[in-house]
Amino acid sequence: MAQVQEGRQAALPAALETERPKGTTSFGSASLGRLKEAARILAPFGVLAVIWWVIKASFDISDNVLVSPWAVITATVELVRVGILTDFIGLSIQRLGGATLIAVFTAVPIGIVLGLNKNVATAFEPFFRFLQNVSGIAWLPLAVVWYGLSNTTILLVIIYTLTLPLGFNTMLGIKTVPPRYAQMCNSLGASRLRVLRDVYIPGALPNIIVGFRLGIGYGWRALIAGEMLAAQGGLGDMIFQARTANLIDQIMAGMIVIGCLYLVMDRLILQPIEDVTVGRWGVLRS
Amino acid sequence: MTRANGRPKIEVQDVSHWFMQQQTGDEVHALDAVDLTLRQGEFVTVVGPSGCGKTTLLNSIAGFIKPTQGTLLCDGKAIKGPGRDRGVVFQDLAILPWRTVRRNIAHGLEIAKTPKAERDERVAYLITLVGLEGFENHHPHQLSGGMKQRVAVARTWAADPDVILMDEPFAAVDAMTRLTLQEELNRLCLQTGKTVMFITHSVDEAVFLGDRVIAMTARPGRIKEDVKVPVPRAERDWSRYNTDPDLKTVTEHVLSLVRSEHGEQERAQHAEAVQ
Repeated sequence: MAQVQEGRQAALPAALETERPKGTTSFGSASLGRLKEAARILAPFGVLAVIWWVIKASFDISDNVLVSPWAVITATVELVRVGILTDFIGLSIQRLGGATLIAVFTAVPIGIVLGLNKNVATAFEPFFRFLQNVSGIAWLPLAVVWYGLSNTTILLVIIYTLTLPLGFNTMLGIKTVPPRYAQMCNSLGASRLRVLRDVYIPGALPNIIVGFRLGIGYGWRALIAGEMLAAQGGLGDMIFQARTANLIDQIMAGMIVIGCLYLVMDRLILQPIEDVTVGRWGVLRS
Repeated sequence: MTRANGRPKIEVQDVSHWFMQQQTGDEVHALDAVDLTLRQGEFVTVVGPSGCGKTTLLNSIAGFIKPTQGTLLCDGKAIKGPGRDRGVVFQDLAILPWRTVRRNIAHGLEIAKTPKAERDERVAYLITLVGLEGFENHHPHQLSGGMKQRVAVARTWAADPDVILMDEPFAAVDAMTRLTLQEELNRLCLQTGKTVMFITHSVDEAVFLGDRVIAMTARPGRIKEDVKVPVPRAERDWSRYNTDPDLKTVTEHVLSLVRSEHGEQERAQHAEAVQ
């Protein structure tokens, strides 16, 4: 069993093995292995919950400061029952999804154009770094002045947050493609568009994916902040509203949901994409 | 001269080139009034000390750079840029790491929109020809240096260019593999009748492969001598090369040309360093 675990551990970073070691293990022990892996991921959370519960129980802390884990669970169940949580999760994810779509269709082409032109890329790099340090949240005041407390304000902030790492990493990715590859492609008779398709985009793909993953992470944080301020529904709005009524249990439930949702997105969607591209390309490149 | 029918394929007329060195900002005089004609079906090798403009010459014919001065013709028409009539085998190979062996070799045919059936057939033929059977679905990082070399050569051949420009393609493979690859290349060129320009800094390689050996001077690169190699290419292999007195004489002659240039270059560098 230990060997199977080790095998998988090695396979994940390398990400070349798309096939699990099926041949060597029976189906039963493979699913047992998955169970063990899940247990390993969940264990620290369990420990944290226990510490939390012990603190709450042994120091007699008021419910206005900290509620028990159990209260958070009941609050979560209640929020789901009345439909608020599910609606707001839907709303937040929709916003993130929409912003991601817009960001991909703007940032990737811009990054490609910048990356293809060395001089422009060099000129733009400090500008990019400057913008990267003016976080999306810092744009909120301006966005509110322009668009009020609206959905547009929230979207603007997430799109901005997503666009930067995505565009920047796309540019870097394009720049890392050896010009030789393009020459080679040209001498095979390729048009400019063909070179872009056959050389630059696949060559930059690992960086694009990294930018995408970073962007979604930053975007998710910016989204929560934007929702808090703009008060147009969504998870950020939910926890900020709960504050006005001093509903500690709902605030904590919301925080946990925010963290868990990102973890799920990252583990089930982003990580697998990165594994099959970055891992693979990364190994291939070296 | 094995297959050369005398028709000029590539003509380099009075080509000179200067470029600015990126780091130092110095102007480099890479080529000086080079005249060279490659005839249809001819295998011409170019030797010279490093930095003598061999690669600049190749890049000009390939269309990657436009020389400062002079005329470059392919089939009598001016060379305006890279094109599929002139295939290139790069020193660093430039095999795409995300494509399998098969798809790397098929790349030129994909670009040319060759029908899939024909493409598959041609790629399969080339894979057999260069001895890569069983590795069709491997990625380049899974291959040895010699195998990668074969992929690069097969890719260029698959696109069926009239002219093939090779820039020290065997520099990075081990000595034993190199001998095999050279013999295979000789066979392949005779079979397909391509016009080839092959750059190398190995005199043995130049004489073994070429109908003619062009010896170049140190920078600025000029043609020092155009040496004809006596034994027909079809009759050459390494054992013949090692015993044939005519080949031996030619090799010694070319070697002396290259060595005198190498000495010049070293003296020049020394003089520069002293200043």
